[in-house]
Amino acid sequence: MKQTLILFMQDEPGVLNRISSLVRRRNFNIESIVAGRTEINGITRMTLVVNEPNEAKRVNIYNNLKRLVDVFDVVDATKENCHVREHVLMKISLKPDEIHEIEKLVLGGNCKILDQDPKCMILEISGDESTVEENINILSKFEVLELLRSGKMAMISGDQERNKPFLTRSEP
Amino acid sequence: MKKNKLTGAEIIWECLIREGVDVVFGYPGGAILPTYDALSKYKDNIHHVLTRHEQGATHMADGYARTSGKVGVAMATSGPGAANMVTGLATAMMDSVPIICITGQVPRPAIGSDAFQEMDISGAVIPVTKHSYLVMDIKNLAQTIKEAFAIARSGRPGPVLIDIPKDVQSEEYDFIYPKEPVKLPGKNPLDREIDKKSLGDAADLIATAKRPVILAGHGILLSGASKEVIELSEKGDIPLSWTLLGSGAVPASHDLNMGMMGMHGEFAANNAIQKADLLIACGMRFDDRVTGNTKTYSLDSKKIHIEIDPSEINKNVPVDVALVGDLKLVLKKLIPILKDQQNTDWINEIEKWKKESQSRDIINADTQMLYGAQVISDIWKETNGDAIVVSDVGQHQMLEAQYYKHDEPNTLLTSGGLGTMGFSLPAAIGASFYNRNKDIWVIVGDGSIQMTITELATAVQENANIKIAIINNGYLGMVRQWQQLFYDSRYNETPISSPDYVKLSEAYGLKGIRVISRPEIPVAIEVAQNINGPVLVEFVVEQHDMVYPMVPAGADLDAMISRPVHEQFKDAEM
Repeated sequence: MKQTLILFMQDEPGVLNRISSLVRRRNFNIESIVAGRTEINGITRMTLVVNEPNEAKRVNIYNNLKRLVDVFDVVDATKENCHVREHVLMKISLKPDEIHEIEKLVLGGNCKILDQDPKCMILEISGDESTVEENINILSKFEVLELLRSGKMAMISGDQERNKPFLTRSEP
Repeated sequence: MKKNKLTGAEIIWECLIREGVDVVFGYPGGAILPTYDALSKYKDNIHHVLTRHEQGATHMADGYARTSGKVGVAMATSGPGAANMVTGLATAMMDSVPIICITGQVPRPAIGSDAFQEMDISGAVIPVTKHSYLVMDIKNLAQTIKEAFAIARSGRPGPVLIDIPKDVQSEEYDFIYPKEPVKLPGKNPLDREIDKKSLGDAADLIATAKRPVILAGHGILLSGASKEVIELSEKGDIPLSWTLLGSGAVPASHDLNMGMMGMHGEFAANNAIQKADLLIACGMRFDDRVTGNTKTYSLDSKKIHIEIDPSEINKNVPVDVALVGDLKLVLKKLIPILKDQQNTDWINEIEKWKKESQSRDIINADTQMLYGAQVISDIWKETNGDAIVVSDVGQHQMLEAQYYKHDEPNTLLTSGGLGTMGFSLPAAIGASFYNRNKDIWVIVGDGSIQMTITELATAVQENANIKIAIINNGYLGMVRQWQQLFYDSRYNETPISSPDYVKLSEAYGLKGIRVISRPEIPVAIEVAQNINGPVLVEFVVEQHDMVYPMVPAGADLDAMISRPVHEQFKDAEM
């Protein structure tokens, strides 16, 4: 079962190193990690998607992440109404008889052409898991030269108190 | 206002003094030189112990911390000096010991250039520390040191490393020691009321239990909760068993104390755990060495886990009630809501199992050979059971746990979680700086002592008042035991030679004694104890002796191997 965790941590050198070290050390099965700046200066936000069937181990992952000194809080978005999005860049080789079909797909609204020359094309796909998987699937019937996936980013809908991270400091 | 400008090096010492540090274990070198240079200004406040290896420095800080309850401090230079600290940090991490390691780093402009003696130590130690720092700006130096101490001490204690570039040590800055309490990102998991419902659930489970057992762990010592655990045990008439690191948490002589649990634990204790209907785990973490096969571990029991670290709950063994918090505080809330109970039937049943196991290691008094168990039992008797014992890792460590009966907390120091061979000699030297008036006995094998034997020189230079008992069986005994039991007695690379320890002692400048028979033991101990300073006593013991009982790794906890009957000598007095 997939577990989606949203981490809030100090924007310090080495903080990604600490997370990846923990993941490696505890032998967690990670599907994707994405991190970036947030609306608050000095706080980095990470979406961590874990593929761990064992419920006890999932709780263990959460608790171990919270134990890191640099981590303010961890919000488990797995059971929340949550938008999980991924961004994909795909370079495909163009054959004259395929261009029409590709353009149809693009017009279908699921992907965008970023770059095109006579030999190949870069497409951008963005969306939730099923949209992304479906589009990659369809486009895979063409010759794929490069595929790049960003990993998943998650945001919980609404403004419930229980999903608000604790972003201040306290005495140890 | 006159500004108080100090160098980074001076700031380091000023901060250490303000954190209550009076002894630092370390080894100088290029990148930490400015700090050692500044030491001359602080010699009245801080005693520096020159170790012979940086690993030794970390174990000394560790031994000092375990026995004093204070934070131990070790210092080293960059690169190889820092790298040598990794084993000591991992040892402290596994056993929740608060130590601070301060390392020099190459100057900031050289970082990342593969400079001479450069190594990313703050990155390398991430998996084996509670936290690590690289101080890139002198403005943050004092705050960082203060934070490091707070992290090392608080919650579940542990090691912290602070890496400080050489040019930061030389730079000048206004020194103000931060007055405000340290605050760290996020919410303190302990900063909340102990859950009332869980307390009630725990009390209900205790009230209805007929076969309860308390599992006493290291957390009792860290929390200072011995009194409360004894109270819990007596009020509920609950027998208890301890983990290796929980030795001494409850007096060995207490009627309800069944002895150690786990791989080399008491038969009665393991049996009781397997047959219990309630386990109350106090500051312990269900390590594989105490549970055996978790799939068959105490299947009929409900489990209450009282633990300061939320990440330990349900990690190895699922529990029914979790009480997250400082053990002493939790028990202070729990005990008043418990009723007085009697579990006479259960205790009588356990008594029967105890009788079965009493003959186990009382062996072979006919031959003139000496046995490790006899040596340790005699050291226990001759020291009236109130020495501080620092044991190493191997057969002697388990024999110590079985035959030295600790009645006082914090009197056994040993590397439990990591099982670091070579721990005992340096850890004992460290402990000697806190316990100047207590007997400190190192109990170590011939394999382990040779891992850190260089620290004999430190013991002599500091005249550390430690007595080193080498249990010499000419083997890496515990590994040999496994080879005998599980690898058809193919003793590959376990026979190990030793130097002549008496001559070696003489060369190092300490008294060395060799003991080859049991009547000599008390004499040797007396001689050793009458010398103020380090003494080495080598006990030449039977080579093929085994530690029994034993639960093979991964086997069911009550599937213990006992000593074969032909090896038992039932009437001998231990």
